[in-house]
Amino acid sequence: MFLKSQKARNIGLQLAFVGLIVAVIVTAIFEAQSNFAQQGIGLTSDFIWKTTGWEMSFSILPTDRTDPYWWYLLVGLANTLFLAVIGLAGATIFGGLVGLALIAPNRPLNLIGTIYVEIFRNIPLILQIFFWYSLTTLLPSPRNAGALAGVFFTGRGIYLPGLNVAGWSIALFWVVIFATVMAFVWFMAAKRFRKLEPGQRRRIPVAIIAVGLALAAIVLFLGHPAGTPWLAIPEPQGLNIRGGYRIQPELYALAFAIAVAGGASVAEIFRGGFKAVGSGHAEAAYALGLSGWQTFSRVRFPLAMRAMLPSLSNQFVWLVKATTLGLIVGYTDLFAVVVSSITQSGQTFEFMAILMVAFILINFSLANVFNRINDAARLKGHQTRG
Amino acid sequence: MGTALENRVRREAFWRNLRQDYFASPAFSLITVISVGALLLLVWQVVNWGLFDATFSPDARQAECAAKGGACWSVIANRWRIILFGLYPFPEHWRSGLACLVVVVVVVLSCIPYFWTARRLSITWLVGYGTFYVLMKGGVLGLPLVREAQWGGLALTLFIFTTMAVIGMPLSIAFALMRNSRLYWISRPMGVIIDGVRALPNVSILFTFAVVLPFMMPDMLVGEKLYRVIAGFILFFAAYQAEIIRGGMQAVAGGQEEAAKALGLSYRHRISRIVLPQAFHSALPATINQFVMFFMETTLVSIIGFSDLMSSARTAFSSGEWTFAFIEVYVFIAVIYFVFVFSLSRYGAYLERRMAVGSR
Amino acid sequence: MRKFVLPSLALLSMAVAGQPALAAPGDTLQGVKERGVLNCTGGDGSNPGMAELDDQGNWQGIDIELCRALAAAIFGNPDAVDIVPISWAQRWPALQSGDVDVIVKSSGGTFSRDTELGFQFSNTYFLGTSNLLARADLGLESLADADGGSVCVLAASSQEKQISSYAERLGIELETITMGNQEELRSAFFSARCDVYIDFGAGTAITHLAADNYDDYVALPDVVALEPQVMIVRQGDDPWLDVVNWTLSAVLFAEQEGVSSENVDEMRDNPPTAEVAKLLGVTPGFGAPLGLEDDWAYNVIKHVGNYAEIYDRSLGEDSSYRMARGLNALWTDGGVLFPYVVD
Repeated sequence: MFLKSQKARNIGLQLAFVGLIVAVIVTAIFEAQSNFAQQGIGLTSDFIWKTTGWEMSFSILPTDRTDPYWWYLLVGLANTLFLAVIGLAGATIFGGLVGLALIAPNRPLNLIGTIYVEIFRNIPLILQIFFWYSLTTLLPSPRNAGALAGVFFTGRGIYLPGLNVAGWSIALFWVVIFATVMAFVWFMAAKRFRKLEPGQRRRIPVAIIAVGLALAAIVLFLGHPAGTPWLAIPEPQGLNIRGGYRIQPELYALAFAIAVAGGASVAEIFRGGFKAVGSGHAEAAYALGLSGWQTFSRVRFPLAMRAMLPSLSNQFVWLVKATTLGLIVGYTDLFAVVVSSITQSGQTFEFMAILMVAFILINFSLANVFNRINDAARLKGHQTRG
Repeated sequence: MGTALENRVRREAFWRNLRQDYFASPAFSLITVISVGALLLLVWQVVNWGLFDATFSPDARQAECAAKGGACWSVIANRWRIILFGLYPFPEHWRSGLACLVVVVVVVLSCIPYFWTARRLSITWLVGYGTFYVLMKGGVLGLPLVREAQWGGLALTLFIFTTMAVIGMPLSIAFALMRNSRLYWISRPMGVIIDGVRALPNVSILFTFAVVLPFMMPDMLVGEKLYRVIAGFILFFAAYQAEIIRGGMQAVAGGQEEAAKALGLSYRHRISRIVLPQAFHSALPATINQFVMFFMETTLVSIIGFSDLMSSARTAFSSGEWTFAFIEVYVFIAVIYFVFVFSLSRYGAYLERRMAVGSR
Repeated sequence: MRKFVLPSLALLSMAVAGQPALAAPGDTLQGVKERGVLNCTGGDGSNPGMAELDDQGNWQGIDIELCRALAAAIFGNPDAVDIVPISWAQRWPALQSGDVDVIVKSSGGTFSRDTELGFQFSNTYFLGTSNLLARADLGLESLADADGGSVCVLAASSQEKQISSYAERLGIELETITMGNQEELRSAFFSARCDVYIDFGAGTAITHLAADNYDDYVALPDVVALEPQVMIVRQGDDPWLDVVNWTLSAVLFAEQEGVSSENVDEMRDNPPTAEVAKLLGVTPGFGAPLGLEDDWAYNVIKHVGNYAEIYDRSLGEDSSYRMARGLNALWTDGGVLFPYVVD
């Protein structure tokens, strides 16, 4: 090595690395400026206020063709988050179940689990989405659909009796629910929370959830026009069914595809996590007289969880990004809005930047939560025995 | 094979195992029967559609196929070359096919433990790559020049994937070590870079590398679009893989590194002899998973105008004659993807078994 | 780590096969001539009749033929063109960054594309109307009857905007289903996910032909919108725009004067009129002002053909679509296309 002293070498290495990053960024900025000037392209932000002029096929918030771009982008973001939450929950459930089947001491279950994983992991997600979507369209059209307790199952979606409340309160309701979940996760992951009394440790999450639900209920109540029935029942009308809620096939086909395909990978990670736990741990636990369930829940699962966390956070972030495939089957997530906006307005760079920033925000929050859990659960040096 | 007695013993052992594994209790028997039944039903449906009611004649068109009611494999008979080779010049298709074969051979060779030394691996890869490149690009040895923009189909998919794996893998180890470094100004920026790359939708990264980067680089560095896109792939492969390796390192008990330190091993030896082998061991399933996902992620290049397998397949049925037969084409490429990826994951399972010796 | 450094370095050095990067506007024609090949937009395989692949993997379609015509005009060789496959969203940055020299990709001329992206347009080479296809069992007379129904639209296409403003004009409520993928959109329509399907130009007719049962669907009489398709070049690239425009005029003029790839040699040997003589380079002066050879138009017609031949091969009699010329006939046949005057 060119430097004898360890300290000087460390400082040199750090300087070199940071310098390299800065140099790359500075070069990029200067180059971009001169090139844009040469091409006569200016980066603007006026397009944000222009009206879009097209209809969104799916939105959980009210949209209209006269809305400006910024509103469409926001709604697209909401759609992405909505789908991501459903997809992640589904993938975790499927993955957990199939993962259990994979590590169960039972051949047929192993076999089913393996077949599931190999099929859904080895075929591109795009093709799987096509498949599930084409299944949903096999349901009858709205005009010849039969109702089942006020619920219609049609190729246009599933119609449910809905609450009779204004759109903004629905939106706010979801924001409150989301905030509650985030607060709950944050509390579970925060370091200082681990120092609390066990009694308090149980009370605080309960309190958070109770407050959140109460707030959500108040929001819904405020959005309800007085004197109208609380429930809106779907009724066939013309070419369609009006009233109540409709869950569009684009949504559930896509959410299901993401859950099924993601579940296969999650299951595989699950299995890998358990493999990483040497069988010695389990044997020791049995020898100490722990029951099978205790061994699983107190010894194997916590250890496996630690080995799983990084790959699991990888996987979750991946699944959030998989929502960008929604475009192919007509789910207008943020990416679909961005692609349409690029074509309609031509502001390629600006919209790409918006897309990237939005995803960085979403996924950094997700990764952050995972990193907290990871740090909290990390095996400390003196715990090397597990 | 053996004597009658041996055969009988073997037969009985088979039945006994079957009973124990699949029919141990009424509940298990039920699960077995139901799952096998469902599988058989599914297989029957597929076979019916794909074989018994299908049309195979290359001359058949929509009307003939519709009459038989099953799959219309005529589309494959007529368009398979487009699916496999994309926009590659028609008379030169043999080169593209040969190039695919070379990649497959190189990958298979590097999966054999005999080749697991630095020299053998690097020589195999260099020779394989050189051959592939010369075959695809031409311009020498009397082969007509084919620009990268015209590469397509399976060859392109394989090229992107293998390049990504070969350069991305060592890079990811470097990333993981840098992120775990004790030096704040190395670990922190690296963490931001890794998390940033992982957070971005893969589409937007590729789009940036293909379309935006030429505006942000000195002209001499811009290079061919294909290589920019591959660089984008390598970057986000390495970011993902670095996290997986880091996860593997976490599973290595901290005492081991301390013990190695106490024995006076240098950082390099601690990492390369103690930490990494174990990290790889526990990270293997996730790594294979990652390879599998990235193999299918190569379909994204179709969004920025490269005709990989997925988009050449789309091109193949996007003509007035064949629009009706898109399902058959998708099935065809699903099978191709499946074959590649399934062999990957089976190989992973074999590696796991091979490495599992220590942890029993 | 050292064992990996060498191979990757070797690869990297292969990769830096420097390419001319950004084109400065105003010298495209010069740049194309130096390169010896024209970079033109191709489809990404989903634009039947405009840009698609035949069974031998050759590009065909109206957009492609015009690219070939440009190459023939510049180099005298229609094959001196690189069809760069490009997705819809990539069109604009690809032209801005110089990846392609001209966009010929079923792109309509719109105000924002002209003014905000730093582009300029050629004359119209194809008039595309957006038409509707509906399920026959609904008994629709026109779109006005489809209140409350749903319509299938290709995402990121002009039809997205067109259908929503048209529905507003009719005062009906339509649910739009936008998908990013043409095949998926079609199969959604065929499986009754939507009541109506909107597409551009030949798209509805092609979709109608692709249906399992032709009579289950009817074409509605509505003309939702008209979109003039233009070739697009960078702003400030006037000499290049002249070449593009006059190449288009040449194929239209040839059709008007009855010059085709079959009789072009006879016509050159004894030109019927002074204008044809000028067009085919018999009398000098048609090439130099454009920076081309005098017989450039002869090469275009010899190798590619006049507009009628281009149309028939791609969409008309000799294609699998059999579309009538309609609006895209010459003004002499009741259409709206016309050449500039060759004098």
